[in-house]
Amino acid sequence: MNTGLPRRAVFAALAPAAVALTAPRFAVASAAPPIAIVMDSGGASVSIIDMTTRRVLRQEPTLREPSHWALTPDRRQLLITDASGNAIFFFDPINGRELGHKLIPDPYQLWYSPDGRYLVVNALRLNHIDVYHAEGLTLAKRFRTGSMPSHLSFSPNSRVMFNSLQGANALLSFDLTDLTERWRAPVGSTPAGVMWHNGIVLVAVMGSNHVAMVDPRDGRVRRRIITDKGPHNLFLTPNRAYIVVTNRVAGSLSVLDARTLSVVRQIPMPGGPDDLCFAPDGKLWIALRFASAVAVFDPVTGAIDRIPVGRSPHGIYISTLLTDAPALAAMRLA
Amino acid sequence: MMLSAHPFNDLAGWIEQIAVLPALYRLGLMRWSELSFGWTLVALYGVFQMFLCYAICIPLERRFPIERWQTRKPVMVDLLYTAIARIGILPIATFVLFYALQTQIDGFLADRGYAPPMLETIFPPLFGHPILTFLIYALILDFVDYWRHRLSHRSGAWYALHAVHHAQRQMTVWSDDRNHILDEIIGFVWFMAIGLVIGIPPLQFPILVLALSFVESFSHANIRLGFGRIGDRLLVSPRFHRGHHGLLAAGAKSINYGAVFPFWDILFQTADFATDFPPTGDVSAPEAMASGGYLAQQWAGLRHVLKVLRS
Repeated sequence: MNTGLPRRAVFAALAPAAVALTAPRFAVASAAPPIAIVMDSGGASVSIIDMTTRRVLRQEPTLREPSHWALTPDRRQLLITDASGNAIFFFDPINGRELGHKLIPDPYQLWYSPDGRYLVVNALRLNHIDVYHAEGLTLAKRFRTGSMPSHLSFSPNSRVMFNSLQGANALLSFDLTDLTERWRAPVGSTPAGVMWHNGIVLVAVMGSNHVAMVDPRDGRVRRRIITDKGPHNLFLTPNRAYIVVTNRVAGSLSVLDARTLSVVRQIPMPGGPDDLCFAPDGKLWIALRFASAVAVFDPVTGAIDRIPVGRSPHGIYISTLLTDAPALAAMRLA
Repeated sequence: MMLSAHPFNDLAGWIEQIAVLPALYRLGLMRWSELSFGWTLVALYGVFQMFLCYAICIPLERRFPIERWQTRKPVMVDLLYTAIARIGILPIATFVLFYALQTQIDGFLADRGYAPPMLETIFPPLFGHPILTFLIYALILDFVDYWRHRLSHRSGAWYALHAVHHAQRQMTVWSDDRNHILDEIIGFVWFMAIGLVIGIPPLQFPILVLALSFVESFSHANIRLGFGRIGDRLLVSPRFHRGHHGLLAAGAKSINYGAVFPFWDILFQTADFATDFPPTGDVSAPEAMASGGYLAQQWAGLRHVLKVLRS
C-alpha cells in the first residue's frame, strides 16, 4: 500500500519505542512567577496558568491525551504522561516550557520511588506496569498485571510498591528490591487512588462510597471509611493534618482527619473533581474534569473561583511545589 | 449554563455527571468511567449531527428534490440506522466487543518494543500543528476508506453485505449509515489496523469532525445539487455520490467511491462526472433489503452473503 509517506520516516517510526525526538534539557532555576500546569486530556495540550493573575498564559501541545505528572527526583524536570500518544513529555517545571518527549507505550499514571531509583509507569489500557531505571529511563521490568493498572504509591523506604487494578477490583503489591509480586488482594469495586499513610495503605474505592484501609503486609482490608459516591483519589495536605478525597460520582470532596481518618468536612465540588494541589496560600487548585475548568477553592470562605482551561482537565501541577513554602502550615480545611 | 469555549465538552460533562456516572455506579460498571466521558461526547456529536442534517438538508430536500415519493417508510428505517450509528450505540457496542482484542494486540506489540506511531512522530514538523495534522489524517483516512469501499464492491461476499447500503431506492440524507452490521464491523477492524500504522487522529476539533461527517451525509441527500465543474472535483456532492448509488453502478463495476474527497476517484480513474442524478437501488439485491424493516434488512444481508459464499 502506498501511503504517500516517506518510507524512511515510516521505518524510523517503527523502530523500538524509546525514540526521543528532542533531547530533554534541564530546567534552569529562576525567579519566575508561580504557575499551574493543567493536563487537558481532551485537548491534547497543557494549559499554563499564572497563579497570581489566574489567567491562562498559553497552551503547550502534546500528542493526544495528557493525564498525569511526576517531578524528577532532582526536581528539574516535570514528566507528563500522554497515554493515547504513547509518550512521556518533559517540561520545565518553573516556566512550563516543553523540553521534548520520549515514546513509551501507554503511560497513564507515573511516579518515582522515594529513593529516586525507579520511575514506575502504569499502562491502564495495555494492562501492564513498567518499572524504569530513573537514570536513563531504561526498562527494568514489565509486569503484565491484568486489567487496568491505575494509581500507585510506595512505602517511604522504597522497598514496596502498591498499584490499584481498576478492572480486577484488586490492589497489587510489588517488592522493589527484587522486582517481584508480593501479593494481590481484593479491595473493592474499581479501586483508583492509592496512598501510603502512617504504615497503612489507603485505597479510594471508586465503585463504592468508601476508602479502604489496607494492611500493607497482606492486602487485607482492615477498615472502610465512608466518604461519598465514587471516591477517586487521595491527597495529603502539606502540613500532614488532613487527607482530601475527591469523589467523582458525588461531585464532592471529603476531608479526613489524617490522624483518626474520620471525615471532618464534606465540600460540594461539581464538575468532576480529579487531581488537586495545595497552594501556599492554603487554597486548593482542583482540575474539574467535566467543566473544562480549574477550581480555586478557598477552604476558609468556601469561595470557588473557576479558571477556564482546555478540554477535560485531568492532572494539575503547581510550581510552588518546588519550594517548601512556610505558609503551608496555614492550611485550614476543617 | 454560562457560555463556554468548549460547549460540547461541558454539555457532555454535565450529562456525564447527572446521568452516565450515576448509572455506571449503580450498575457496578465504574471501570468504564474513564472511557464513558468519550462515549458521551461521541453521542452528543451524533445528536448534533442529526440536528444539522435535519435543519439543513430536510428543507433543501423539500425545495429541490431529485425524486418525490408516495410513501417514505424506507426513509424511516434509514433514520433508525442513523440514530443507531450516530448516537453511539453502534460505535460503543463495537468498541466494547473489540476492546479486549485491541488491547491484546497493542500489548503484544508493546512487549516487542512497538508503540503505534502518530503522524507527528513519523513527521516531527507536524508536532504543534494539530489542525494541519487533523486535515492530513482526514486525507489519509479518506484514501484508506476509498480502498475499503472499492474492495467491498470487488468481493462478491463483501458486496452481498454492502448491498444493504445500495438497495435503498429512496436515498436521502439519512441513507449514509444504512449498513449491514457485519459491514460496519469490517470497517471498524479496517480502521483499527490502520490505527496501528499511523495512530489515531487528534479529535479535539469537533467542528472539523462534524464538517467531515456532514459531507458524507449530505452527499446522500435527495437534493438536485452539484458543486459545479470545479467544486465537484474538490468535495463529494450529492450529484457525484448519486452516480455511485445509480442502478447501473451497483456491484463490482461501480464509480465514485470517495466519501469526502473525489480526488482518489480521479487519481484511480473511477470518477464519473457525467452521470446526472440516476435512479438509485440495486436490482440484484433481495427485496427485503430495499423495503424491509431494520431487522429484515439485516437478516436478508446475512442470508445473501451465505448464499454467495455457498455458490
